[in-house]
Amino acid sequence: MSDVAGAATTKRARRNGAGRYGRLGQVVNELDDRLGVAKGGRTFLDKIFPDHWSFMLGEIALYSFLVLLVTGIFLTLYYVPSSAVVTYHGPYLPLDGQRVTQAFASTVNLSFSVRAGLLMRQMHHWACDIFVGALVVHMARVFFTGAFRKPRELNWTIGVTLLTLAIANGFLGYSLPDDLVSGTGIRIAYSILLSVPLVGTYLAFWVFGGNFPGTAVIPRFFILHVLIIPLVILGLVGVHLALLVRQKHTQFPGPGREENNVVGSPMFPVFMAKTTGYLFGVSGVIALLGAFAQINPIWQFGPYDASRISYAVQPDFYMAFLDGALRIFPSWSFMGFGHTIPLEVTIPAVIFPGLLFGLAYAWPALERRVTGDHAIHHLLDRPSWRPKRTAAGVAALALLSALFIASSTDVIANFFHVSLNTVLWAMRFIVILSPFVAYPITYKICRELQGVHGAGKRKTPNLVLRTDEGEYVAEPTPAYPEDVYHELEPTPVPTFIEGAEVEAEAATPGVRVVER
Amino acid sequence: MRRPPLARLSLAAVAAAFALGPLALFAGAAGAAPGPFQTTRHNAGTPNSSQVTRDASGQIISYGDKWITYNAPSPALTQLGQALYMENCASCHGTKANGVPAAGTVGAYPNLVGLGPATIDFWVVSGRMPAADPAAVQAPRRQPRLTPTQAEAIAAWVNSLSPSYPYIPDPHLKRANVATGMALFALNCAACHTIEGDGDALAYSTFAPSLRHIPAYQVAEAIRTGPGNMPRFTGNLSDQQVNDIVDYVTTYIQHPQNPGGLGLGQLGPVAEGFVALVVGLGILALVAYWIGERA
Repeated sequence: MSDVAGAATTKRARRNGAGRYGRLGQVVNELDDRLGVAKGGRTFLDKIFPDHWSFMLGEIALYSFLVLLVTGIFLTLYYVPSSAVVTYHGPYLPLDGQRVTQAFASTVNLSFSVRAGLLMRQMHHWACDIFVGALVVHMARVFFTGAFRKPRELNWTIGVTLLTLAIANGFLGYSLPDDLVSGTGIRIAYSILLSVPLVGTYLAFWVFGGNFPGTAVIPRFFILHVLIIPLVILGLVGVHLALLVRQKHTQFPGPGREENNVVGSPMFPVFMAKTTGYLFGVSGVIALLGAFAQINPIWQFGPYDASRISYAVQPDFYMAFLDGALRIFPSWSFMGFGHTIPLEVTIPAVIFPGLLFGLAYAWPALERRVTGDHAIHHLLDRPSWRPKRTAAGVAALALLSALFIASSTDVIANFFHVSLNTVLWAMRFIVILSPFVAYPITYKICRELQGVHGAGKRKTPNLVLRTDEGEYVAEPTPAYPEDVYHELEPTPVPTFIEGAEVEAEAATPGVRVVER
Repeated sequence: MRRPPLARLSLAAVAAAFALGPLALFAGAAGAAPGPFQTTRHNAGTPNSSQVTRDASGQIISYGDKWITYNAPSPALTQLGQALYMENCASCHGTKANGVPAAGTVGAYPNLVGLGPATIDFWVVSGRMPAADPAAVQAPRRQPRLTPTQAEAIAAWVNSLSPSYPYIPDPHLKRANVATGMALFALNCAACHTIEGDGDALAYSTFAPSLRHIPAYQVAEAIRTGPGNMPRFTGNLSDQQVNDIVDYVTTYIQHPQNPGGLGLGQLGPVAEGFVALVVGLGILALVAYWIGERA
């Protein structure tokens, strides 16, 4: 009897102890008693994130990378990184009995004979395409709004490194199935390594463990693809986000938004709800693509064999600019002093991407040098306010897009029934001219936008009135309340610590101002 | 094998520069009368095997093996063929089918004598001949002007001028091995027609046509006769191998297995990148625009 009463009191005591936040609050209290999580947790939950839709583009990259990790772990359970030759036997008849490498056989097997294997493989590939695409779009957002300026140059550098690693890892992963199309890609990569002046042969033999194709390349690419590069990417993403939290996010200028404050939504609950929803959105879109759109059907390509080749082979889109540069470059080479330098490969595939990424790394320093602006910036530029930078960025994108198109010269020629040679020559001119056409046009558009009254603000309707005499008068209606400048008072944040004073709710729900 | 006369070769070279290119060169090579019957692979597609059927007058009406039977066009159609030829072909190829055009017309066109019924049949039945544009670099496949029987009739008449091979092939696909076919396709065909069989542009306005919607016997005809820029595969492919390739083309190339969802036109990374950027990233950017601030 007394036991029952005792149990009841304990239950009630527990319920009382739990307080306003219930069982969860109690757990947090217990944790706080031991680890002191309340202070750090509160700082974290109260972190203010400025809100703009373009700030979420980087999150696409983050969440598609998570999808890559999860699906990639699934794939490693079935993929065999070996060039050993086996005889394939399986449900796909055209391959039945063919001599293929274990890498190819295991990839076909995981596509056809493993439950959800094909879905996982396709999600992995789609997530990769979206990951690299999102990196580029995010980078463009950061570039055009000037978010890379002091004090965030280090984060820009990390971002460019992440893009390089993502492209490299995408290529390595694309090569792993050892199918006809990706094998051709490896062959090109081998030639690019060979084309590096003086050390090319040593470099190529070092990477491939001998002459092409060899048996070392698949295991080496595998360990790079699933362990080394993902670890580096993961570490850099951690530093990237830590720097973002440490330096606080940039914001667009606007009512109440200054260099010395951060206006936005707190981590909990507003930002967390949005970003969690977005995580599900990103994985949902990738899952839908993986389920309904076929990507890289390697069973239709068959195994790689140095004696076989398919026409009309393109790499994945993020490598296409290199492919385009290789396609349109004239066949020049240098021979002398006992060396051959194949300039038709060295220049488009080694020197050009080196210059391109070098320029990306150097841009913040270059811009500081040219503008003499060494100030700290937390407020973003609108692209039209910096016409030269915007025009330079658009020129670079135009050049890359032209090269991207040049990587499908054969598809264009076939589709429009023009001579391949005509397309090739046209692309040479288009690639060279595109940045010079894009720059002045963008510059002019930016300057025009600067002159447009109320650009970037929402338009208000005009009220047209008819007087008794029949005269029509247009009267502008007042601006929207949110567009009118007013000083925002920093509102104190609610506490989650038991017993502490809870202060009044903010005047504007969801918006909060804190000092930097 | 008899060497073709020099004059014929030089005429063919002129024709090649103008129109159908290598076809004319093959006119010389294929025009040679078949030698004594041999059982090597080097003249596969000619009556070199045991299964040769002759009619009452000793004329070969079909030959082949258990993988492909090559049938002569029906001799009963010869007269119809002559009429159709004069109507549709003679203005370019000449009334004697020797490539010398009728008086008053200009140009040098391929000599058709000795090309073999399969060549004539293939060009007509695939709609490439009569050519829509005789000056075009390469005649495209299009809706045929003549029916298969009419094509066979023209082949019968041209063949009656100088009997030659190969006859019109009839592959027995039930005996084919599709896996061998795929390996041979990747080795011999994918370099121009692409591994998915879509075809693609080659240099100077020539192109490798798509392999979709082509009947099996026409695939075999193309392999054995080498139309246009295509090499003429005789010595290096046996009838069994041709049969395997034709089987792979008419099954998995023409009806690709897309268990992964939409095939995206079998276009590969070009279409995939487009879908990833426009559909994937586009939808996600719209979602961001929807849940984020827009000012």
